[in-house]
Amino acid sequence: MELQRNDIQGLIVSSYKHLPCAAFVMLRVKDAAASRTWLRQRAPEITTSEGKHPEFSTNLAFTWNGLKNLGLKQEVLGTFSRPFQEGMATDHRSRILGDRDENAPDKWDWGGAANPVDALLLIYAKDENVLKTQLQKRQQELAANGGLSSLAILEAGRQPDSHEHFGFNDGIGQPAMEGTGNKAKQLKRTNHATELPAGEFLLGFNNVYGVISPSPTVAATDDPQNLLQVVPPDSTGLQAIAGMHDLGRNGSYLVFRQLAQDVAKFWNFLDQATHDANGASNEKARDQLGAKFVGRWKSGAPLVLSPEGDNPGLANENNFAYLQKDAHGFACPVGSHIRRSNPRDSLGPDSATALNSANRHRIIRRGRSYGHRIQNPMVDDGAKRGLHFICLNSDIERQFEFTQQTWINNPVFGGLDGEVDPLVGNLAKGDCLFTVQGEPLRTRVHNLSRFVTVKGGSYFFLPGISALKYLANL
Amino acid sequence: MTHTVMTFLAKVKPEKRDALRALLAEIGDKPEDNAYIPFRKLALLHFASLVLHESQPDYGFYLIFENNFDGALAPYLDDLYRQAADGLHQIYSSCQDYTVTNAGDRAGMLSYLKAHVVLPNAYHIGNTGRGAQRILQERDLKNTLETAADKLVEVGQPRAPRELLDALRNPLRTDPKFAWIPGAGPRQNFMEKAIPWAKFVLAAVLSVLTLPIWFIPAVVGLLVLRYKESTDSIQLNAANSDRVRSLVQQEDHTQSVGNHMASITIVKEGWLRRFALRTVLWAVNLYVRSTQTHGVLSGIPSIHFAHWSMIDGGRRLLFLSNFDGSWENYLDDFIDKAAVGLTGVWSNTVGFPRTQWLVFGGARDGPRFKAVARDSQVVTNAWYSAYRDVTVQGIDNSSSLREDIYSPLDTRAAEACLQRL
Repeated sequence: MELQRNDIQGLIVSSYKHLPCAAFVMLRVKDAAASRTWLRQRAPEITTSEGKHPEFSTNLAFTWNGLKNLGLKQEVLGTFSRPFQEGMATDHRSRILGDRDENAPDKWDWGGAANPVDALLLIYAKDENVLKTQLQKRQQELAANGGLSSLAILEAGRQPDSHEHFGFNDGIGQPAMEGTGNKAKQLKRTNHATELPAGEFLLGFNNVYGVISPSPTVAATDDPQNLLQVVPPDSTGLQAIAGMHDLGRNGSYLVFRQLAQDVAKFWNFLDQATHDANGASNEKARDQLGAKFVGRWKSGAPLVLSPEGDNPGLANENNFAYLQKDAHGFACPVGSHIRRSNPRDSLGPDSATALNSANRHRIIRRGRSYGHRIQNPMVDDGAKRGLHFICLNSDIERQFEFTQQTWINNPVFGGLDGEVDPLVGNLAKGDCLFTVQGEPLRTRVHNLSRFVTVKGGSYFFLPGISALKYLANL
Repeated sequence: MTHTVMTFLAKVKPEKRDALRALLAEIGDKPEDNAYIPFRKLALLHFASLVLHESQPDYGFYLIFENNFDGALAPYLDDLYRQAADGLHQIYSSCQDYTVTNAGDRAGMLSYLKAHVVLPNAYHIGNTGRGAQRILQERDLKNTLETAADKLVEVGQPRAPRELLDALRNPLRTDPKFAWIPGAGPRQNFMEKAIPWAKFVLAAVLSVLTLPIWFIPAVVGLLVLRYKESTDSIQLNAANSDRVRSLVQQEDHTQSVGNHMASITIVKEGWLRRFALRTVLWAVNLYVRSTQTHGVLSGIPSIHFAHWSMIDGGRRLLFLSNFDGSWENYLDDFIDKAAVGLTGVWSNTVGFPRTQWLVFGGARDGPRFKAVARDSQVVTNAWYSAYRDVTVQGIDNSSSLREDIYSPLDTRAAEACLQRL
């Protein structure tokens, strides 16, 4: 399948590994006409997935409110998916995403009812200087135009390596999108690749069900300049009505959540939980329990393949499954973070069925850590750090939200009884558990508390380039 | 032991609709111990729901009162009347042809309720043979063993599996709270297992024997259906957002690992569709009642009680389900694991995704199937579960634990028993 690379924003195809410095600018629309002028001028500068840009890349996404504030008609707004229309901060969504108590949207720095976001400008650069230059340039343009104001600038600077702040190698497993050539790269990097149809990530293409992923559309009369592609007569899938113009085509839904990490709390908890009988720290046991929480050792080596200790030789290894090797979770606990966030074949009834089901809920992760790496993980330095979690999918309910609700926050996931993901689950008040399966008897770790707090979040639409032009010319 | 899976179906007086909705909301707020039907007091009851169905006014407004309980109807009705006579009287005073004038008229009320019983054409039970109280007892046993196991782990002395098991089970033998364990019977006795199988086999044999009679009409019928399904209209748009918003408001509440789904779909025009649906449900029921008795329905491990009932002379299909997990997960399981069965059923109802030969295609168009399902689903005004925090698989696990706990186990069996914790 041939992708129209010049119509697809670069972030969908690339994680911009060669651009280690990033900044995410949260914008609000103050003046619709001026915002559209800004968009008209900037649209040609948005990075597409054609070629590689060695210096910097720029991408742009909108929330539903943002599109509304830009002046998109109500009947078009109504064709976007329901989660995108409603946004991340609704009662039901807070329940299923685990955004309660400290995580509740009314405590967020951005994206809640009190501080909604309209647009997101993503800037990636090869180094600090280029990032600074680009950010200044963009801010000057915004100031000169006056249509948009910036609510927050979230920086995600260079990290020493690909490890997240708790210390574990991150971003190893990713589904590869058909047509991108990423399958070969993924295979080479991790010894494993799951290629999924483009419609899992791009709107307007065939998805895992072999039907077109639901995409927002406009009537032909609302697109007099014919900027958008026409839905062909033989289209399958919901809402794929022949003759309508496809506003979603080559675009994707982008989920953004700012997740603050309390590194010292995390490691001190593990330390306490693994004390020797005389009260002394047991570093080996501490690291081992941390690895059990995650499902990989710090290097990234999967517990399924290396149950006894870390093995840097397997740092990026992703060629493994659970059902044959570790059905009971003796190596990699059933409730560990990586097993919950992608259960592979472990949920049965058989390997093939389970894998097929799990692959209906994959996301492409494009997150970036923010803040400096902690000096001593046992000592809180008061600095702010965490992960700007970003993911791409074509069906927020079936992919991102499903992952959060049915896997991460599910108290009975995989036969467990009353526990959630030990890293990012909704560790509410009370005795939160984590079970480490073992022979002859499991161990239950008690009294987990939140190590990760949600600081903001929104659902965005990352449009195709022609859709950006359409929005600019409303 | 056996269960009864049924609904009371009554037409609501249009002028009483708002008042009834408000009353049901009160029940929905406190299903366990509300002033009308204090469900927690009904010891035989597993799941119950009350749905005021208003969205297809051509058929009138219906009150659907779902009950899934232990044993036969009569003792349950006795208990229901004993615990909730006043509440039932108030509720059914909003319904047509209810002529009972006071809650003290036991005979009048029971005969009204009996007259409004709808037994499903097909149903599924996740935890076959387990009574409601047994499920709660076994949950209690499991929790006690978990806590005891935590203590053993804390002590930290490695022990052989059989010693460990002894350390866990010996205290139970003298604990009066667990005196019920030795007397707990099997999930199903011989007759309870044999009768559904006998029906299934008898139906299969009779079908084969009568093949010469029905074969040609069946082929003709299928060809007609094949033509019809290629021209039937299908749903084009996403589910109605307002409807879905009102549905998700009631879903995924904390302290509960499950959800309820109530839906009424309109059976496609013509006696052939009604006949096809009736036949499919008949066959499904025979198959499910005999073979799907171990917690899994066609690969779906999360359904406590589900029923399919043809109502209004077969013109509509009522579906009620009490399931574990999220709605998305439930529907995905249907699509990935049970598409043939569910397509065979719902392809006979309006708006379903395009099918081939009744059972192919259909639900495999995931997004459209979910949109149809959401559009036919209605708000459950009140939902009760006797055990909100346990799943079908959790219940089965606890039952197995109870069944094995006093067995004289060898090392391997002891290991397996410990793995249930």
